Amino acid sequence: MTDDRSPHSEIRHRFETELEEIKRLAVGLGSLVLENAGRLNEALLENRLDLAQQVIDADDQVDRAYIDLERRVFRVIALQQPVAGDLRFLISIIRVAHEIERSGDLVVNCAKGILRQHGFHLSNQIQGVLARLCRSALDLFGSSIESLAEMDPEAGRRLDEEDDVVDDLVGEFYTLLATETESMDVDTAIELSRVGRYMERIADHAVNIGEHIGFAVTGIFPRHGEIDEG
Amino acid sequence: MEQANLTQPAGPAPGAPTPDLPVRSGGRAVSVGGVLRKNGPGEAPGTQNSIFDVSGLKVFYGSFQAVAETTMQIREHEITALIGPSGCGKTTVLRCFNRMNDLIESARVEGTIRYHGVDIYGDQVDPVEVRRRIGMVFQKPNPFPKSIYDNIAFGPRIAGFKGNMDDLVEESLTRAALWDEVRDKLKESAYALSGGQQQRLCIARAIATSPDVLLMDEPCSSLDPIATLRIEELMIELKRDYSIIIVTHNMQQAARVSDRTAFFTVDVKETGMRTGRLVEFDTTDVIFTRPHQKQTEDYITGRFG
Repeated sequence: MTDDRSPHSEIRHRFETELEEIKRLAVGLGSLVLENAGRLNEALLENRLDLAQQVIDADDQVDRAYIDLERRVFRVIALQQPVAGDLRFLISIIRVAHEIERSGDLVVNCAKGILRQHGFHLSNQIQGVLARLCRSALDLFGSSIESLAEMDPEAGRRLDEEDDVVDDLVGEFYTLLATETESMDVDTAIELSRVGRYMERIADHAVNIGEHIGFAVTGIFPRHGEIDEG
Repeated sequence: MEQANLTQPAGPAPGAPTPDLPVRSGGRAVSVGGVLRKNGPGEAPGTQNSIFDVSGLKVFYGSFQAVAETTMQIREHEITALIGPSGCGKTTVLRCFNRMNDLIESARVEGTIRYHGVDIYGDQVDPVEVRRRIGMVFQKPNPFPKSIYDNIAFGPRIAGFKGNMDDLVEESLTRAALWDEVRDKLKESAYALSGGQQQRLCIARAIATSPDVLLMDEPCSSLDPIATLRIEELMIELKRDYSIIIVTHNMQQAARVSDRTAFFTVDVKETGMRTGRLVEFDTTDVIFTRPHQKQTEDYITGRFG
């Protein structure tokens, strides 16, 4: 996946084309989930039950894209016996695909919560914090997909820093849910706390994606280093 | 680290145990097994397990430089793989480890190769003794046109081996994982064996003279995958008792069996002279997962000309 390569054979050229295609499919998978996350955001903040249903329906497409990507990675590992940077790239793509697919499921979980509650009817204050939380978590996820497209080696560190904002907002959101008990029933409060948890997890997946990309490019996995150093 | 005695000695070192396998070299008896001594604790760190210290090695054929300055340490009881494209000097370097290049008239070697601390190109060193301690297995199995038994017994006999030859033959064939297949046909011609068996016979033959290093020059290139796997398993077994250096074109083989891998490339000068050069030498794990040199990465991932 590096530039200025020496001239190489047709067989290697096909291999590199396949690696490019795998990357394109991985970014495509991320874009599908990102698109669905955008729908969820609108459904959540504007009580659009039709959009929530669309989010749920679109998950099949995400699952198909995930399986297709995984199959291609397995095939190229089996047929090409990649090593070094190529191997790191493919292993990272398998991991990244899993993170994206899980994020997609969490988006769907949020949408199901909306349908269960027939939309959330919230105070302006809670609505405001929820909107900020969703935007920052989903922005972080979008940012991880961009760093995948660019194979940014610094993505893990950068996204980890941005994740602190999400964590703070989740804390703020929970505090608010605990104090504003008069404006909503228990079911709504439970459902909203789930949404908060799902957003936090989506942001965590985004950080993981960044770390996998860093590993693909540099061969260094931040958490491996921590373990190695005890 | 052990100090080797490669000169043509008068006898065992004082206080050394009785040699268990006397062999002859250049007409003089050479003691084996009793001439090695351990160095003191003052040994420099990082060199403690090295069997070869290669320093500033250059190889010339006439005015043509085949290998650029090479410095590396080969560790004991490890398998070291030398990989790289044709003409990169890996086989030339391999042949330096037991002075096989001496047999080529125009060849000239500069720099030093210390084996257990002794420069094998030193004036006092007997190349025959070097080759006995540092055995070689070639690309194509090359058994002698003799019986299986005599293939093993040949070297020790020439070296004046006085022990129980039957035991030595059995032990060598057992170590080479061939005994069970040939125990009932030791008097048959070695040529009756399959290619993979012949190669194991050549390994047994190399072992029979009690070397402590085995050099292998593409030992599996003429074998099928099953025979290749047997040789690879055998190499893993043998590294407990020997140190192994292998030249291979098969990168998966280097990845599977070796502990360390040296990648050589070939530099082409304006004059057209092609000189081999050591690019990177590291653990096999690092070479195949995270090489530091782009040239290494390009080669092992197949991005070459």
